[in-house]
Amino acid sequence: MLYLLLLVPIAIGICFYIFSFKQVRILALGLQSIVFAFTLYIFLHVSGLETPLTEAIGNWGPLSIQLYCDRVVSVFLMLTAMLFLSFFTFVQRKDYFNRLFIFLFATLQSLIMLIFLSADLFNIFVAVEISTVICGILIMYKHDSRSLYDGLVYLMTNIVGMLFFLLGIGFLYRHFGTLNIYQMAAYMRDASGKDVLLPFAFIMTGVGLKCALMPVFSWLPKAHGTPGAPSIVSAVLSALYVKGGIYLFLRMRDMFAPAIEMDGFFLAMGIITGMAGWIIAVSQKDIKLILAYHTISQLGLILIGISLGGASQWGAVYHIVNHAVFKSLLFLGAGMIVDTYHTRNIYKIRGVFRTMPVVSIATMAAILGITGAPLFNGSISKYLIQSGEINRAAEIAILLINGGTILSFVKYSHIFFGNPEEPVVSSIPIIQKGVVIGLGVLCLAGGVWGTGFIRLLFGYAPNISPLSYVWKCLIWIVSLALGYILYTMVLTKWNKIHQGFSIELTFNQICASIAGLFAVLLAYGWLTAA
Amino acid sequence: MEAFFDRILSGDMIAVALFMIGLYGLIARRNIVKTIICVGVMEMGIILFFLTIHAKPDAKPPIGEVARAADPIPQALMITAIVIGVAVTAVALVMFIELYHKYGTTNWKKARQMRREEN
Repeated sequence: MLYLLLLVPIAIGICFYIFSFKQVRILALGLQSIVFAFTLYIFLHVSGLETPLTEAIGNWGPLSIQLYCDRVVSVFLMLTAMLFLSFFTFVQRKDYFNRLFIFLFATLQSLIMLIFLSADLFNIFVAVEISTVICGILIMYKHDSRSLYDGLVYLMTNIVGMLFFLLGIGFLYRHFGTLNIYQMAAYMRDASGKDVLLPFAFIMTGVGLKCALMPVFSWLPKAHGTPGAPSIVSAVLSALYVKGGIYLFLRMRDMFAPAIEMDGFFLAMGIITGMAGWIIAVSQKDIKLILAYHTISQLGLILIGISLGGASQWGAVYHIVNHAVFKSLLFLGAGMIVDTYHTRNIYKIRGVFRTMPVVSIATMAAILGITGAPLFNGSISKYLIQSGEINRAAEIAILLINGGTILSFVKYSHIFFGNPEEPVVSSIPIIQKGVVIGLGVLCLAGGVWGTGFIRLLFGYAPNISPLSYVWKCLIWIVSLALGYILYTMVLTKWNKIHQGFSIELTFNQICASIAGLFAVLLAYGWLTAA
Repeated sequence: MEAFFDRILSGDMIAVALFMIGLYGLIARRNIVKTIICVGVMEMGIILFFLTIHAKPDAKPPIGEVARAADPIPQALMITAIVIGVAVTAVALVMFIELYHKYGTTNWKKARQMRREEN
C-alpha cells in the first residue's frame, strides 16, 4: 500500500510528460488532491495501530527493501502532500508551470516521501542522490547564469556529502551484514563505540551536510536564495527538502545511540549553527537570502531540540512541521513581492502593506510564527524545546537565537511600511492569495490549538503550564522591544550592514570544511567513545 | 614483511586510499572538470570497497545454485551506484558546459568572482 504513494506520482508525472494533455495543470492538481487524501488515510490507519506499519517490497525475505511508517512519518507524509497540494495550486497561472516542471516536481515529491518512509540505508542514499539531481535542475530552471553557478555548487557539494554517507553504509554493512536501520539499531547494542566510530563519522558528515551544520552550510543559501529559481522551488527546498535531512539526522542518531552518543557535541553544533544563521541573515540585503539564512538558524534550533531529547525532541519534531508551514509561506510571499516590485533589495521595497494587503497579512502571520510570538505556532514548539532537561547555557543560547531572529525580522518587516519609490501595480491572482491566506491561518491555528494538534498528530500529551507560557510571552515582548531598539539605534547607523556582507566559500573551501567536519567528528568520537 | 604488504595492498585499504585521493583533489584543485573527475575517483573507491566486503579468493559468482557463492548484496548495490554515478556525472558535465558558455572559465574561483559581479 505504501509503495503506491511512491510510484503513483512518478508514473503520472511521466504520463503527463509523454502524452501532453491540454488540461495538464488541472489534472496535476487533481493528482495532488488524491495523494493528499491517501496520506490522510495512511495517517488515520497508522494512528489506530499499536505497532508501526512495515512493508517489504519484493518477496525476498530479509533481502527486500523495507518501508517503515510510524506516526511521526505519517505526519511528515501528510505535511509533504499538503504543501505540494498548495504549491501546485499556487503555480496554476505561472508560465513556467509546464509538463517538464510537473514531471520534476512530482518525482521530487515521491523521493521526499521515500526519504521519510524508507528503512533501508542504501535506498535512502538512492532517494537523496536522485532528489539532489532533480533539485539541481530545478534551481537552474530559468537558465539564469547566476543560478547555473549556484546549482553546480549545490549539486557537487551534496554529491560529495552523499559519497561520505555511502562509504559509511559500506563499513556498517561489512560489520553487521544488514542494511535495515531498525535491525541495525538492535545489533548496535552489542557493538562498542570504537567499532562503529568510523561509519558514524562518515554517515554523520553526510547527514550534517544535508542539515547545513555550521561549517558546511555554504551550499544552502546559494541553493535556496538563488535569483534564477522560481519562488516555489525555493519554498520546496527550504520548507520540505531540508526536513528530509534533519529527519535523517534524527533517525541516524537513534540508530547509533546504543553504541555511540554525541548529543553534547551536536548540541554545541546546533547552538553555533543557530547563532551563525541569524548573524549572517541580519546583514543581508537580498530578500530571499535573508530567508535562506533563517532556515539555517531554525535548523540549528531543531538540532538543539533533537540533541536535548525527551520533551525537547517532541518540540523539535513539531518545529519541523511549523517551520515547513511558515517558511513556505514566507518564500511564496517574498516571490510575489519580488515579482511586483522588480527588485530583491530589501532597502528599496517599501509600502507593501498598502499595495498588497492580503499578502502582507499572511506574511506577518508567518513572521509572528517564526519569531515565536504568543498564540502562533512557533511559540508552542519553541516552548517545548526549552521545556526538556536543559542547562542554563543552552537556555540562554535559545533565547539569543530567538532574539536574533526577532531582530532580523524587525528589519524584514520594514518593507511593509512607508511609500514605494516608484508607483507599483500589483496583480496577484485570487488563487495565490487564497493559498497564502490558508497557510497563514494554519500558522495561527498551530499556535491556538497547539497542544491539541500535538496530541492528535503525534499521540504525545505536551505539558504546557499557563504561568510559564505567559512568562515566555513576556520574554518575547521584551525581546521584540530590545530588537527594535537595537535595530533602529545601532544597526541602521552601521554602514557595513547596508552593503550586505557574506561568508561565501569557494567550492574547494567547502570541500575542505567537509573534510574538517569529518576529522573533528572522528577525533571527538575517539576521545569520548568507550 | 609479506604479511604487512598483503594487509596494506588489500582491496579495502586501496579503496579508502582512492576515496582520500579524490577528496584531496576536491580540496586542492580549482579546475571544475578535475572536480568532476575527482568525484568519479571517490566513487570508484567506494565501489571497490563494497566489492571487497565478505569477498573470498575462491568465491563463485552468485548465479544459480553454487557452493561458496560470493555475497550478492554488495554487487547488486554497486550496479545501482554505478548507474547513479553515470547519471550524476552526466548532469554535472552538462551544467559545467552551460556554465562554460556563460562565463568562459573552468576555474571555481574565477566563476565565483564573475557570479559576484553579476549581483
